[in-house]
Amino acid sequence: MGGSVGNCGALPYSKGIVMKAFWAFWARVTGLFRKNRREQEIAAEFESHLQMHIDDNIRAGMTPEEARREALVKFGGMEAAKESVRETSRLIWVETTWQDLRYALRGLRLNPGFATTAILSIALGIGASAAIYTVGDNLLLRPLPYPGASELAMVWESNPHTITTHNVVSPGNYFDWKAQNGVFENIGGFFDLQVLLGDGKRSQEMDAQVVSSEVLPLLRVQPVRGRVFTQEEDAKDAHVAVISYRLWQNWFGGYDDVIGRQLQVNLRPFTVIGVLPPDFYFHTRSIDVWLTLGLNPGPDLRKTQGRWLLSIARLKPGISFKRAQTDMTGIARRLEIAYPDFDTGWGINVEPLRDSLVGQVRPSLLALLGAVTLLLGVACANVANLLLARYTSRRREMSVRGALGAARFRLLRQLLTESLALGLVGGALGIILAWLAVSGLVALAPRELTRSVQVTFDTRILVLAIVLSALTSVVFGLAPALIASRANIIRALHEESHQGTGGGHRLRAWLVAGEVACSVVLLAGAGLLFRTLVGLQAVDPGLNPKNVLTFHVTLPSVKYREPQNRVDFFARATEQMSQLPGVKSASAVSYLPFNGLAAGTGVEIAGRAPAKPGEKLVASIRTVQPGYFRTIGIPLKRGRDFTAADNVIASPYRFIVNEAFAQKYLAGEEPLGKQISAHMDDKDPFGEIIGVVGDVKEGALDQEPKPTVYYIHSHLVYSQMVFVLRTEEAPLSLADSARKVIADLDHELPTSDIRPMTEVVRLTYSRQEFSAVLLAGFSLAALVLAAIGIYGVLAYSVTQRRREIGVRVALGAEPGTIIRMVVASGAGMVIIGSLAGLAAALAVSGLMKSLLFGVGPRDPVTFIAAPAALVVVALCAAYVPARRAAGVSPMEALRTE
Amino acid sequence: MALMILKTLEAMGSLHGYGIARRIEQISGNRLSLNYGSIYPALLRLEQERAIVSEWGVSENNRKAKYYRLTAVGRRQLKQETEQWAEASAIVARFLTVKESL
Repeated sequence: MGGSVGNCGALPYSKGIVMKAFWAFWARVTGLFRKNRREQEIAAEFESHLQMHIDDNIRAGMTPEEARREALVKFGGMEAAKESVRETSRLIWVETTWQDLRYALRGLRLNPGFATTAILSIALGIGASAAIYTVGDNLLLRPLPYPGASELAMVWESNPHTITTHNVVSPGNYFDWKAQNGVFENIGGFFDLQVLLGDGKRSQEMDAQVVSSEVLPLLRVQPVRGRVFTQEEDAKDAHVAVISYRLWQNWFGGYDDVIGRQLQVNLRPFTVIGVLPPDFYFHTRSIDVWLTLGLNPGPDLRKTQGRWLLSIARLKPGISFKRAQTDMTGIARRLEIAYPDFDTGWGINVEPLRDSLVGQVRPSLLALLGAVTLLLGVACANVANLLLARYTSRRREMSVRGALGAARFRLLRQLLTESLALGLVGGALGIILAWLAVSGLVALAPRELTRSVQVTFDTRILVLAIVLSALTSVVFGLAPALIASRANIIRALHEESHQGTGGGHRLRAWLVAGEVACSVVLLAGAGLLFRTLVGLQAVDPGLNPKNVLTFHVTLPSVKYREPQNRVDFFARATEQMSQLPGVKSASAVSYLPFNGLAAGTGVEIAGRAPAKPGEKLVASIRTVQPGYFRTIGIPLKRGRDFTAADNVIASPYRFIVNEAFAQKYLAGEEPLGKQISAHMDDKDPFGEIIGVVGDVKEGALDQEPKPTVYYIHSHLVYSQMVFVLRTEEAPLSLADSARKVIADLDHELPTSDIRPMTEVVRLTYSRQEFSAVLLAGFSLAALVLAAIGIYGVLAYSVTQRRREIGVRVALGAEPGTIIRMVVASGAGMVIIGSLAGLAAALAVSGLMKSLLFGVGPRDPVTFIAAPAALVVVALCAAYVPARRAAGVSPMEALRTE
Repeated sequence: MALMILKTLEAMGSLHGYGIARRIEQISGNRLSLNYGSIYPALLRLEQERAIVSEWGVSENNRKAKYYRLTAVGRRQLKQETEQWAEASAIVARFLTVKESL
């Protein structure tokens, strides 16, 4: 076309096109609302057309029949023309989509088996992945709920000598960090504890957090009422408290006069000065009261206090974590030189806050994310498989409809509408499933997973789930739909449908192989975790947790200021509890084993040269009541237990140590009678070792036992103790009578954390248990889906080969031969899938290493058992259609022709 | 097809679908044999583009029929498309002659 035309005519021409398009569109929109009239008009117009044509033909000398026939032939396909006019006349897709949808739903209703399987597959895949993605998103991706959360860091002490990277902090070091660092905007110190909270009417043990004045401002939290702590209040440890929104609502009815109200914390009066926002939490979600830390710099902090503080910091703008780490390591080196006794060997570890909060659960979570993605894959393959089967069997219908004038695109769209409907129904179901699963997961999850980060179901996941299910159904519906709609009209109409096996069949076999592969990977993962769990349960914990009841009691220091009061209280309580019917013995300990917490400090052995700096002997310290070892089931190896006579303040210092202590620190020497001292107090007198008890695998079952020194309660008078009761029957049945003993002694004292010891032990492997249970569930689901896939493919091929099988039977094939033949035809996809799955599992199992205990990531038993289990299931799935094939009666098969 | 319909209507004034189809066939000297049915979507499209309007009327032998008629928009469109078509065919013709002379 000439340039001149284009140039001078460009504007009006393009305007014309726009107008044309606009009017055409408008006509179609209005056409939507005049469907019936339009339909009649088309019919009338065509009718008049034909009549005129017939008239002309008759005039030309044809008979009426001839005239009519000629007119019809000349007109071409009447219905096709109508369809074409309809397409032009309206925004056709709105109507046809509705039509397709109704048609699809009707089709699904008529085929409930197919619909249910497909919808459940999608629901399962979407539900499981949305649930796990939600947890993963909350823990790993979503920003923590603090402004500028990426600048927040936990600062730990670390000691390569004792292999600790996340050690609590010495207050002395903390103040030096504060004074010397140039990388943090601020550092604050805090720790969590439990306090007895009262408002005169009630008293209850609550989770509290003691914070320095920097912590809350550093988290940039704005109180909804009142204010947070000032530096002065912190410095003089003023009796002021900030409370949670929850407590404000529950205890103070949400009234505004809460500021200035009184609250008893451990029986001492505190004034409420602020309320934090409803969604605020830090480190532990259950905190209801914040109090001041009241820690001030002093010259002797390293002498009088060990390491016990947690510290959080905010990076200065523009400072990276790497830079902060370098700077802090420099400070650590200086402190080592300044305080060789205390700091030799100690470094500093600056860690992003999120890593501190969720670092431990990351491996489990990543394993689960991987697993759930595989499950989704299996579900998708299964749906594709089902769709393919359905479409293949509908090929004839498609051909007929094509022959009657349906456009291919239209057929394709209808098939897609159907799979989309499936996908969305499944997706909706999946979302409900996910919503339920998230609450279930949070309940089931190890405490460490949900303690510090809130897990909520949000719209982003909702959208993801919907998009995912739509995508699944479209992508996996497309290939089958394409194959089905391509159906060659003539051929399809000619051939009896059960003879044709097209490309669809091969695709389905591949899909099944893929399902099998994913299932093998899942099974292998679940197998490894299961073996880990069995291994962990087989480990002797060093005590007998069966029939032991445990609970906490904390004595408020105002009322029980004198050590004598506390010794008396616990002695009397233990005595009375051991008298209860159903209780074999009772005692108490400062920290339960397996609870992840214990005091630790340096110890000295009399007659030895003081240890070199950095090579001090370190031991866990527990204080116990007499009879503790018998009650909780720790065997006494040598010497004797503490007696009531030892539990007197004036008695000489005596200690019991565990075997790890004797072996590590007293190797080869006679432990009994040795004089030792632990750095727990200012005095730390030496005392005699009177007994050696068995080790408890306390930190975690998969770790080495730690050297431990046991005090008698009268010499290390804790005000918080955990009672342990050995019972004759189910431990929880004694909870009420035990609580009554405490209430009778002091009606203001609550008991908390009442749990059987078995549960305490179980919590230490809850991480593996959690992952194992979920992974087992996923692999079971995948297995079922894969079985459905195999069954589907074989059942279909048996139906198609009915005639062939009938001929074979007629020619004398034994049922066994037929069964073997059918099963063998499914074996290929199972074997290929299993091998691929095995290779993939071997490749990725290394990622699970940190979750495993007692088995290698390439454990041969697991890697033989997983595919074996799958093959067995596959054989069962193949056997059913094979049996049906063997039952084919030759006469019947041939007659269906 | 659109161009042929417009041209037919320009020449004949008002005409029904059957007449248009017949006329197109005649003009082409029966060299163009078309399915009469396929004219209707094209008519509808032109109507939607407001190049033609339709109204029910009575045919020469007393049959009710829908008559189509050119609008001002249609005339403009016809003119434009005729020019373009002439231009295009001239270019193609020139190419063909060049090829022949090679």
